[in-house]
Amino acid sequence: MDILLSIPFLIFMPLAVSLLVMSPLFTANEIVVRRFTKGVCLFHFLYSILMLACFDPANPYVSEIHFFGLDWIQSLGVKFVFKIDAVSMILTVLTSFVFLLASFASKLNIRKNHKFYYSMLLLLMSAILGIFTAGDMFVFFMFWELELIPAYFLIGAKWKETEDSLYENAQNAKASAVKFVLFTFFGSMFMLLGILLLHYYNFTSNGILSASFSDIIDSTIPFGIQILIAICLVIGFAVKLPIIPLHTWLPDAHTNAPTPVSMILAGVLLKTGAYGIYRFNWQTMPESFMAIAPTLGILALVNIIYTAFVAYSQTDIKRIVAYSSISNMGLILLGLCAYNQIGLSASVFHMVAHALITCGLFMIAGIVYIRCKTRDINSLGGIAAVMPRLFGFSVLIVLASIGIPLFAPFVSEILTMIGALNSDLSDVIKYVSVFSLPLLILSSCYMLKFLHQGFFGGLNPEFEKANDISVHEFLVLASILAGLVIFGIFPDTILGMFS
Amino acid sequence: MCLAGFIILQLVLSMFLSPRFYRYARLVSIIGIALSIVLLSTVQTEPQYFGFKNTIMSDSYTLLFDFVILVCGFLVALLSRGIVKTIKQSAYTFHAILLSAIFGAMNMVSANDFLTLFVSIEILSFSTYFLIAASKGYYSKEASFKYLITSAVATGVFLFGVSYLYGITGSINISEIYEIVSSQEPSIMYSISSILIVLGLIAKLAVFPFANWIIDVYKGTETSVLAFLSTIPKLAMFGILCRLLVFPLSSTFELTFAVAIMSLVTALWANTYAIREDNVKVILACSASANSSYVLLAACLVSVYNLSTVIFYLICYVLMNIAAFAFLNMYGDRNPMGVKSFKGMFHKNHGLVAAYAVVIIGLAGIPITSGFIAKIYLFTAIANSGLIFVPFLLALLMLTVVALYYYLKILLPMFEECDKNTEVAVLNPVFSQKFVLVIAAIATVLIGVYPEKLIELCRFIAYNI
Repeated sequence: MDILLSIPFLIFMPLAVSLLVMSPLFTANEIVVRRFTKGVCLFHFLYSILMLACFDPANPYVSEIHFFGLDWIQSLGVKFVFKIDAVSMILTVLTSFVFLLASFASKLNIRKNHKFYYSMLLLLMSAILGIFTAGDMFVFFMFWELELIPAYFLIGAKWKETEDSLYENAQNAKASAVKFVLFTFFGSMFMLLGILLLHYYNFTSNGILSASFSDIIDSTIPFGIQILIAICLVIGFAVKLPIIPLHTWLPDAHTNAPTPVSMILAGVLLKTGAYGIYRFNWQTMPESFMAIAPTLGILALVNIIYTAFVAYSQTDIKRIVAYSSISNMGLILLGLCAYNQIGLSASVFHMVAHALITCGLFMIAGIVYIRCKTRDINSLGGIAAVMPRLFGFSVLIVLASIGIPLFAPFVSEILTMIGALNSDLSDVIKYVSVFSLPLLILSSCYMLKFLHQGFFGGLNPEFEKANDISVHEFLVLASILAGLVIFGIFPDTILGMFS
Repeated sequence: MCLAGFIILQLVLSMFLSPRFYRYARLVSIIGIALSIVLLSTVQTEPQYFGFKNTIMSDSYTLLFDFVILVCGFLVALLSRGIVKTIKQSAYTFHAILLSAIFGAMNMVSANDFLTLFVSIEILSFSTYFLIAASKGYYSKEASFKYLITSAVATGVFLFGVSYLYGITGSINISEIYEIVSSQEPSIMYSISSILIVLGLIAKLAVFPFANWIIDVYKGTETSVLAFLSTIPKLAMFGILCRLLVFPLSSTFELTFAVAIMSLVTALWANTYAIREDNVKVILACSASANSSYVLLAACLVSVYNLSTVIFYLICYVLMNIAAFAFLNMYGDRNPMGVKSFKGMFHKNHGLVAAYAVVIIGLAGIPITSGFIAKIYLFTAIANSGLIFVPFLLALLMLTVVALYYYLKILLPMFEECDKNTEVAVLNPVFSQKFVLVIAAIATVLIGVYPEKLIELCRFIAYNI
């Protein structure tokens, strides 16, 4: 069985398929390309499930690639090594699942350049999987940067025939893609500085020329330097997470990207930031993390409360969802800041739950936009009458997102609070936990507002002919809902991996 | 020596052959350079060889630089088809000058004597003036003149520094100076002279305070000449500069700090200047200047490790730069160089634009290109030089974000879609241009995926200097 489970295959299979799809030899037929990609994503998902089934938390998968018998950059001690522990495993499966959903959701949203779109989708998948599984700082950084190229094109390129009225949209999309790339690059340069310093001081203090996470011993590095490194790294991840005030790229990018791309961005791309904080700060440099955790906790509180208010004042469905993402990412950060096992497991659990929620909400926003050509909740209204099935799903997913029992977010939100209250680090974390409780109220405010104004009320006659959801969309929403319910009833499927 | 022979051959040919045969000028150059590359393998490197009364040396370090310079020269000669066509009757002269420039550059790296160094710099510079002025039109003359004036001033500064050094040590031989200097306490005069020498040398790298020539010169110069200008003088200058920094000028703190400040100011200036520029040539000029400053910062923090990163960066950088100019060469110098005029090209020329995109992405330092590895490797060198340089490193890193912006500005219009009304520029590449672009792009990706062998080579060279 072990021979079948190969991490390099898991990561580079999408890359190889992406190159195949991009190559001129591959057919340009829309249907073939789409079905092929769906098949690949499905296969990848099943494969990752298989890996999950064989996974033993005490015995993580490790795999190292040699180039002609040498390490990748031997003179820097950089090894091309991958390691999958419990967190990586969960996020790998999550990534695979979200991309599967996205490939299904692409049908109605992507109207041109199919080959390019699907190859970029798979390339992004490879990069994100690489981030989640990298066992070496430089490999992590490489994938982190690599993800910029496909992400740029997915957000900024034109995937629909332009009509004149939408021309401005296309310009906005391009601008927000550039914004995304520059923001991320700005953060990653700080991160690179942190990595370089960590690499160097690990070498001078411990005599180990290596950039693998497992080889880094932080306790011998001078404390001031540790703090400096930790801050640099956190700034890098804060852009992705995002932590206020580095969040401004997010609403633009999420709003202007096509629906499947928004799903990926919110579903997994944001999680790379949280994962980075876990991998670098939480796990590799615990000493400095304990020192900066209270500050991060306060930032998390700002995230949670401030963006919830901002989300309430939005009228565009996608922007509401985007701001609610930031709010939820604050909760994930809070779970990490607690620096205990409950906090960590809750944080990872919330990553999964939130990924499913945002995927569902963006999907709904996309469906509404295709049918009604608008996402403004003021001009919508009453569409529950013409789209009953969509309405049913929306109600369930919205209820899940505001933390109703039986759904996954309920468990993760409560657990995060408990984890933060149990934190031994500092009282600040406990206060943050208490003060972040209004999140539950605020999130129900903006979510119910969205539901109320969007679906109830008098039906605008323009929307009378809107169709209900198609089979594709039904599949996506149903599988999201299934995931939410399963994890809500059996949270131990994920939490058990941390015990 | 072989190259010198071919220079003479070209000159003779230029006198006797009728202009009708201008085509063969390029061929002769290419053969000459190729033959020189082959002959390079016969050069003695172990132990160090000193020739011509101790004025020229050769070891593995000079050999590597000579090799890279020749390869660049080879690629530039391949690109020179367009310009040779426009200047027909003086094609042989053009190529003779190109060869002599390469000769000067190689000689510079091998110089073991400040007089030899001076003469080689002048050979290189004079050839460069002519090469810049070779294409027709007002702007190339202006560019040439600007370059001449800056170079002349810089040479003056350089000679001034050498005269001080001669005053202190009584010698102009580099190895002798090293012996004398290392036996005595460094004096303030010594610091001044070394700063002046470095200042004189780095003018050609477009580093502050001698930086602003580069904008006009790049604007006015033909692209194949630019492929030359942005690689060979840079290689030669860094080649000799690193040796000087490692040996006789081995760093006084004043020198390091002065150079670090200069390189930081350059990076700041070049990167911010490029933001509002629209002309691709000018953006590449700023990028050239900025890249020089990154390398210079690593080079001035002298250590063997840094030297290896500098060599690695230079090799990656020249390949990418030549490829970028090869693309512009295909695009044609007569066409407008504004970023907007490249709009939508991707949809007409998939392969070539993709190769160009790879190269520009490499210059921006994004994986999976050699530029990414080179940047990381170079920045490790700066990070390893002590906490005092961390602010410098941070500033450089932030400036690479700015750099990414203008590289995207070059790149993105090409992927835009245009409606049917707008005209899309079409490339008319010939084989040699495609060859240069594709080879360099492939090398960029290969080094990006598998850098270890080249890094090992660079380390070997650096440790044997």
